[in-house]
Amino acid sequence: MENKQHFGELTPRLKAFREKVLDAKPYIDAERAVLCTEAYQANKNQPPIMKRALMLKNILEKMTIYIENETMIVGNQACGPRCAPIFPEYTMEFVIKELDLFEKRDGDVFYITEETKRQLRELAPFWENNNLRARGGALLPKEVDVYMETGFFGMEGKLNAGDAHLAVDYPELLRVGLRGFEQRTLEQKAKLDLTEPGSIDKYVFYNAVLVVIEAVKTYAARFSRLAEELAKTASPERKAELLEISRICRKVPYEPAGTFAEAVQSVWFIQLILQIESNGHSLSYGRFDQYMYPYLQHDLDAGAITEEEAVQLLDNLWIKTLTVNKVRSQTHTLSSAGSPMYQNVTVGGQTTDHRSAVNRLSYLVLRSVAQTRLPQPNLTVRYFNGIDEPFFDEAIEVMKLGTGMPAFNNDEIIIPSFIEKGVKEEDAYNYSAIGCVETAVPGKWGYRCTGMSYLNFPRILLMVMNHGIDQTSGKRFTKDYGGFEDFETYDDLFAAWDKSIRELTRASVIVENAIDLASERDVPDILCSALTQDCIGRGKTIKEGGAVYDFISGLQVGIADMADSLAAIKTLVYDQKKITREELMDALKDNFESEKNRKIQQMLIDEAPKYGNDDDAADLLVVDAYNCYIDEMKKYHNTRFGRGPIGGIRYAGTSSISANVGQGMGTMATPNGRKARTPLAEGSSPAHAMDRCGPTAVFKSVSKLPTHEITGGSLLNQKVTPALLSTDENKEKLKMLIRTFFNRLKGYHVQYNVVDRATLLDAQAHPENHKDLIVRVAGYSAFFNVLSRQTQDDIIERTEQTL
Amino acid sequence: MQSTLTATIFNIQKFSINDGPGIRSTVFFAGCPLRCRWCSNPESQNCNRAAAVATGDAKLAGREWTVDEVMAEVLKDKDFYDESGGGITLSGGEVLQQHAFAVALLKKAHAAGLHCAAETTGFAAHEVFAAFIRNIDLLLFDMKHFDRQAHLEKTGVPNDQIIENMRYAVKQGVPLIARIPVIPKFNFSFDAARGMAALLVDIGVHEVHLLPFHQFGEKKYEQLGLAYEMQGVKQLHREQLGAYQKVFLDAGLDCTFH
Repeated sequence: MENKQHFGELTPRLKAFREKVLDAKPYIDAERAVLCTEAYQANKNQPPIMKRALMLKNILEKMTIYIENETMIVGNQACGPRCAPIFPEYTMEFVIKELDLFEKRDGDVFYITEETKRQLRELAPFWENNNLRARGGALLPKEVDVYMETGFFGMEGKLNAGDAHLAVDYPELLRVGLRGFEQRTLEQKAKLDLTEPGSIDKYVFYNAVLVVIEAVKTYAARFSRLAEELAKTASPERKAELLEISRICRKVPYEPAGTFAEAVQSVWFIQLILQIESNGHSLSYGRFDQYMYPYLQHDLDAGAITEEEAVQLLDNLWIKTLTVNKVRSQTHTLSSAGSPMYQNVTVGGQTTDHRSAVNRLSYLVLRSVAQTRLPQPNLTVRYFNGIDEPFFDEAIEVMKLGTGMPAFNNDEIIIPSFIEKGVKEEDAYNYSAIGCVETAVPGKWGYRCTGMSYLNFPRILLMVMNHGIDQTSGKRFTKDYGGFEDFETYDDLFAAWDKSIRELTRASVIVENAIDLASERDVPDILCSALTQDCIGRGKTIKEGGAVYDFISGLQVGIADMADSLAAIKTLVYDQKKITREELMDALKDNFESEKNRKIQQMLIDEAPKYGNDDDAADLLVVDAYNCYIDEMKKYHNTRFGRGPIGGIRYAGTSSISANVGQGMGTMATPNGRKARTPLAEGSSPAHAMDRCGPTAVFKSVSKLPTHEITGGSLLNQKVTPALLSTDENKEKLKMLIRTFFNRLKGYHVQYNVVDRATLLDAQAHPENHKDLIVRVAGYSAFFNVLSRQTQDDIIERTEQTL
Repeated sequence: MQSTLTATIFNIQKFSINDGPGIRSTVFFAGCPLRCRWCSNPESQNCNRAAAVATGDAKLAGREWTVDEVMAEVLKDKDFYDESGGGITLSGGEVLQQHAFAVALLKKAHAAGLHCAAETTGFAAHEVFAAFIRNIDLLLFDMKHFDRQAHLEKTGVPNDQIIENMRYAVKQGVPLIARIPVIPKFNFSFDAARGMAALLVDIGVHEVHLLPFHQFGEKKYEQLGLAYEMQGVKQLHREQLGAYQKVFLDAGLDCTFH
């Protein structure tokens, strides 16, 4: 849906640019892989930190660059928009295995030429037993083999790719330019006492930082020259633009930004290059409206720019943001359906002195996102109890477009939980969303405030009922703490859950730490570290403990299915004795196929309390179960503990992206009546169609979770019909609903899909008519068309809150 | 004894946003002495209760609730009422049919700080009505027709008592919004509109909601095996009702659609 009347529309040129990017077929691009391999081969003797710097240098100096006719902002990641570079230093395994399959996927299709295949096959032997996947695999203790083989913790993505999930220090970049970072690096390097054993590594790190800063400068200069070159044959109008582009690229990001256009270009260069250095996703812009505003204000005051022109630059930036892409393995696409990069932009919230932070630019960001209607960037509005009413209204107007944006994050819970965990007050007030719903302090926080292990609660419950043997793989995951037939009471079952979840939590920590160590040693990010405080001060990469804060979290999946399963067991098996333990086990193993078992399934669905209806009989059971995990997980440090950062520990998180589908595929029939291999509920949202008491009850149920411990994000998807937002009065009531959830119930996050079911069904039948239909998948939005059928169905099935 | 009082309630609807200010919970009481031919909740009419119960469908038939049970349920959303200036609305069916329970519930709700509204036909004896509205913060009071005969014909009861009660409520200073279901072949005429507008002005009502006829109830008649007089009658849309609304506006009433 568009709302041109309210938000205005793209200029014809930007409209054409948008179309071009949307229509571009995503190809796999071998160039980065070739240049990376070249650098690794040439620098075998170098320590990894320097090797990585020289790799980035080689790529930025030699990669193909281009400037699209329609753009004012330049910089490309690969050979064309949405084409995906390959990162062989992480893995080549799935790339080679799936070379012929990329085009045949159900969702997240990539195209590939025979020439690209040849190039990739040619360089694959160099990487055999010689990349993160290989070395990480070797470092993993034997005790955790079974979890890696079965993909149970979903850590595959972590060995295949970089980490990201952070926002770098863009405010400082704009203020001092890379020149300032270079200056500080030189000073720190000069201060080193090289007789200190620890100084040698720092010396290498500083040199590496100097190499990448130079490389970025070179990359920008290449664009400056290219623009100048193109200007020679351009129309007079375009010529002036190209010369301006050329001037800007000569200046930023090395020099501090002066104008708004320079600031936009500077930020884009870094946002882009960080995604050439590494392929970690959820690399976020941070509090864009805060650090960019001074430049806009400067230009507006000077009459150098109009608001319309500023919006056009933002439109342009978002279209560029969409050009970045990443190819994931087939299995990984299940949890990240729709090829999302999760590049988040956060607006609103409070200033460090607790006043409303909304400014003119906050509105322009909303307007530009509304005009472009793209799945990137992922837009988050920070809510607080003093949110400006007109700004809240404007955010709801954006929501009405149906793209699932913005998501709302709540200062009222996030800031106090951060402070409670040792984050300084001024930093806590400056948090931003990262990726989807998770949060961190931009520029000061290490990787993966969420995005570590998956823990699939319902699958673990099935394992607990089955003597510690995973029902899906048939493999033993924990010691035998008895089986369902041994559990005479609900408390017996719960006691076995408690022991099992603790054992698996420990196992997940072992896996996470081993992989973190492997990536620390093998694939350090130099530019990303340089732009994160206080890596330069400490002479360390982020993974070595360079960040000011370093808290991480995994993703606990299937919260609602867990609640409903426990409630069904407690109510129907133990309390009312309507189903025997044997009957339930039999029904689960039978996947509710026989007539008798179908009846049992119906009882499980109809006659037991369900999470999402403000019914303690379901809600509190999952809270108890969750607390076992939280209590255990808190005991374990991450690999940066004691090496510099505040934190160095973990907290809980449920921002399960689209993992509910992938994780559901790996989960057999569950006691809530859910059939084997069907999706689980997403994040902390109720199971599909099980929330029967309306949105207030959903909010109440969700608010019973120990949210102040789930600092890694608690994701709640809600779907409303467009009708709910059709009158001003109803819109006001929706705002009241959100206000209550945030002010009084201290919810963490909520986002709305405002697309009716009929539209989605029509889009399945006639994808050609819905080319730019965007839907909220989980913590992010994606084009409906690129999703697999199963994920599409999953979205259609979510309960619509109506009147 | 208050604690033994029960009422048949067929639904407690949370996030009710069209029955008074803010976010509300609406308590639907079963049973109604009227027999409006267009009624969208026929299961709540006295004459059809047996048919509803016979379906065995709890959603149609409702169940017995104590005052404390209802209070526990509606208090679950107190945060939402407090944040939004909402509360509870008693509706039906006709809440006045179970007035003793309703009054007990309203007293408890007021004690708990809840804003209390009621949607009513106003068809009850004066004493019953008077006791009821002492505990009410807002009345959504139905007006179906100004004409006694027409009223009797299509709702099964005359309107004298109803009009008297409406007058009384206004006199007592209870905030009151008149709600007019706009029904084809019944009150969807200029004569009816003019008559009702004049009557409302005379009573001293200031605000009117028009509720255009819809066919949401059609399925229920089928489920209950009842004849449905409005079968096939087209829904009314706001666009058709501009001139109708104007009658009320011209009479100086604040008149909107709901």
